[in-house]
Amino acid sequence: MTSDPTTEVPRDEAGQTLLQKRVDRRRALGILLGGAAAGTSAVAACAPVSAMTPESKEAKLLAWREYIKGNYRTMTEAERAETIARLERLAELKRGVDVTIQSTGAQPGVVFGYGFNISKCKGFRSCVEACINENNLDRRAATQYIRIFEMEDGVIDFDHADATFQHEVPAEGHFYIGTQCFQCADPPCVKVCPVGATWQEPDGITVVDYDWCIGCRYCMAACPYWARRFNWDEPEVPAAELNTNQHYLGNRARKAGVVEKCHFCIHRTRKGQLPACAEACPTGARVFGNLLDPNSEIRWVLANKRIFRLKEDLKIEPRFWYFTD
Amino acid sequence: MRFGRVLTALACVALLGTSSACREREGTAKGDRAELGTQPGAPVPDAARAQQDSVVATRVDTAVSPGALGTVPAAPVDLWHGPGDRPFEVALRTGDPASAMSRRFGRITLRTSLRTRAADLGQYPCTSCHLGRRIVLADDRVADAHQNITVVHPQQTGGTCSTCHAADNVELLALKSGERATLDHTYRLCAQCHFSQAEAWAAGAHGKRLDGWQGRRVLMGCADCHDPHQPALEPRIPFRAPRIERIRGSGK
Amino acid sequence: MHLKPFVLTALDSATSGGRRYHVWMGGLTLIMLVGAYAYSLQLRYGLGVTGMNDHVSWGLYISNFTFLVGLAAAAMMLVLPAYILKDVDFGRAVLMAEAVAVAALVMCLAFVVVDIGNPLGGWHLMPGIGFLNWPRSLLAWDVLVLNGYLALNLAIPFYILYSRFSGRQPDKRKYIPWMYIAVMWAVSIHLVTAFLLAGLPARPFWNTALLGPRFLASAFTAGPAFVILLLWFIRRETEYKISEGAFAKLALITTVAAQINLVMLGSELFYKFYSPTHHGINARYLFFGLDGHNALVPWIWTAIALSTVATIALMIHPVRRNPRWLIPACAALFVGIWIEKGIGLVVPGFVPSPLGEIVEYTPSLVELGVTAGIWALGMFVLTVLVRVALPIELGDVRSPYIDERRVTTIVRPRSSRPPRADVRPVRTR
Ligand code: SF4
Repeated sequence: MTSDPTTEVPRDEAGQTLLQKRVDRRRALGILLGGAAAGTSAVAACAPVSAMTPESKEAKLLAWREYIKGNYRTMTEAERAETIARLERLAELKRGVDVTIQSTGAQPGVVFGYGFNISKCKGFRSCVEACINENNLDRRAATQYIRIFEMEDGVIDFDHADATFQHEVPAEGHFYIGTQCFQCADPPCVKVCPVGATWQEPDGITVVDYDWCIGCRYCMAACPYWARRFNWDEPEVPAAELNTNQHYLGNRARKAGVVEKCHFCIHRTRKGQLPACAEACPTGARVFGNLLDPNSEIRWVLANKRIFRLKEDLKIEPRFWYFTD
Repeated sequence: MRFGRVLTALACVALLGTSSACREREGTAKGDRAELGTQPGAPVPDAARAQQDSVVATRVDTAVSPGALGTVPAAPVDLWHGPGDRPFEVALRTGDPASAMSRRFGRITLRTSLRTRAADLGQYPCTSCHLGRRIVLADDRVADAHQNITVVHPQQTGGTCSTCHAADNVELLALKSGERATLDHTYRLCAQCHFSQAEAWAAGAHGKRLDGWQGRRVLMGCADCHDPHQPALEPRIPFRAPRIERIRGSGK
Repeated sequence: MHLKPFVLTALDSATSGGRRYHVWMGGLTLIMLVGAYAYSLQLRYGLGVTGMNDHVSWGLYISNFTFLVGLAAAAMMLVLPAYILKDVDFGRAVLMAEAVAVAALVMCLAFVVVDIGNPLGGWHLMPGIGFLNWPRSLLAWDVLVLNGYLALNLAIPFYILYSRFSGRQPDKRKYIPWMYIAVMWAVSIHLVTAFLLAGLPARPFWNTALLGPRFLASAFTAGPAFVILLLWFIRRETEYKISEGAFAKLALITTVAAQINLVMLGSELFYKFYSPTHHGINARYLFFGLDGHNALVPWIWTAIALSTVATIALMIHPVRRNPRWLIPACAALFVGIWIEKGIGLVVPGFVPSPLGEIVEYTPSLVELGVTAGIWALGMFVLTVLVRVALPIELGDVRSPYIDERRVTTIVRPRSSRPPRADVRPVRTR
């Protein structure tokens, strides 16, 4: 019933050959450099003979192969499988955790959309908590993709909103409005990336290849909704709290110096589940669904509710609508 | 091969649906305690349990991987349809108190004021006092016996217990039409006044859809989130606030 | 054939000098070492050791970068009158200006490298093995134009100096076309850098059509001002004669550009403050502070005061002609624009964030160390280049292998002293 979704990623023939060439050249270079590196490491290994355990040797080699790999988008299926196998093995070697990394592709005929009911949100931040756990967000830097703003009744004004409220909610005379990545149809962050490390998938999710990103943070400057986060330090997630159900373009381990963002829980939503935030919301303020399905909940909201989006004037078509009861 | 499995799954779902619907109808018709006793608190009959389990087991292999849905039995909703006139289901809670006590979504435990009415009722069944007797509100013993209930909603609306509860069996809901509904089908009662909410609920803009955006559509019932006697969600201290300033790495 | 002596001579020129020269170079080396240490910390612990954060995601590094691109561009644009309009007075300034351009570019690239979170992934930018998102990403454009510009600025002076060194007159047909390209390229590097910021509707503070022209105007102010400072220093310290005329012309360019710059700044302020919209909120933060957050307020007013006073001073002819005033005025302009176009341009773009949150930015010690190190590197490069170029320009050194019979054009020494055939560095006083 489920055909392999990864094969459904549309590929254009000419582009494929072009990318193939690129990959081949890189592979050749990798082999060359790899040989050189192996040589040097052999020399280095001679000095402290006992220092190198087979595990650390394997980890080094895997890390090197990871270093010279290409952009996820240009990889063939085989290469994707290889890098995933390497990453899983590295997680085991380095952290002793057994993770599963998916490469599930987009379902055909699906573009995700999100609705947020500002009449319903009570500012509990259950979504924030769920997101942190689900997506292995850096605990030390306390990274959060979702921001919930507390606003005074009567006006939507982010300048005077408070995202750091810490009192019993809902507060009298206030309402709450949440932001995260809005998965714009015309994402300005994708346009600016100098290395093409971030792109929009066919189901509308803008993803980041954490291993290809060079960390220039141009995309952070380009995002009008402040949706991107940077790993200023090596991110830390206690092994016990790690979500081992991962996706290459989603919640797998990030490293210091690269950018990350909300990906609508790509590892869940591509399998038909709700994003963690929508599932955790105790008030039902979050509506998620397929925009291309006229019978989906999100389409009903768009057709029957008063809706608005933030910064419509930018014409980047965020796929995240606010609505009221 | 796959197709066969799906068929089995569908058959199971259908079976479960009809069986619970049957139970419901029987309960509504007779309204007697002996019949209802199998639902709240009491262990689910083995056959029904086996059916549920087979549903769980089969669903693993279908395209939509199971989340909460795998553990929640559901019954089809009459009278209401989802977007595109599509039928949908409502989660059944009274039959499985374990699943009703706390809701785990993935790795998170949902901390709503989920009311597990029927499970509590099992400890001290309403019918031990109320069966066959009329409710007399003026009686002081009413307040004493219901200390765990804050009656905000009935007071606000000028209602009494019997506005919603069947006068002769508090575990059943009395509809205006004279019909009765079990506690799983609260939406039938609530929708009598809150029709616009009910419409939004059926369409997906109010309440929660369980499990996924794809596949079977199962909604949580009204009383899964709202305490019917005090329907506003309880205020609470939110999950920790973001740190606006970045915490410097330990590297320094 | 003359390459080996050229390199040797260059090395010799760069490494020999008076005590002050050695103290200067030693000091720079020391600062560079401090910078290298600071950068090693950053490499080890990540960019977390800087003062940047998710709100202010670019800081001191990119601030210096935008400023220095201007310096690089402006220096080259001085070439236009010199080589193409054959302004002899100016000619002498030009080689120095090119040295400034090269040094500024080296600093630019260094600032970009240290700002990058994953510098080991730098090869991802390389077309062929990596993927350069050109022409969509303005940053990809910037990578291309900056490197191209660096190549041009290395190649042209090298050709000229090498020709002189080997006793030939540089062939105009060979380098003038490249000169034209370089001049246009200079404009482009600065416009591209401005567009890099101006092309982001997410940041209304930058998203203005005036940003490109403003960049050019401020570059034309800070660039010549810096060249004036450099030439004045060279004139004081060496025997390289730079005429009053060159100074006058440079000062005039500086003055006019400074005036234009102020006019543009004024219209920007008018636009932002006369009918304040939400888009002016970053400017309000910069100039007046927001809700008690006012880290940048003293800086920007210092910058404006420096630029205004210096511009007014330069507009008075006697003041401009007197080095006693010209030099401090140029220094003031340089510093003023460094603030205005560096920290004063980059940081307020991020404060408040697009969602209205205010997080202020203070550079950390590591960041300051790296920045100082890169500036020291730039000054080092500049000094070396000037040291190598000067004696060749002066005719003090020439290749020992010059076949005198084949020299068609006698290289006229530019200094008043007779040419010497031996390889000797310029003596500093
Ligand atoms: S930070 Fe990474 S994803 Fe963002 S623009 Fe730079 S390279 Fe691309």
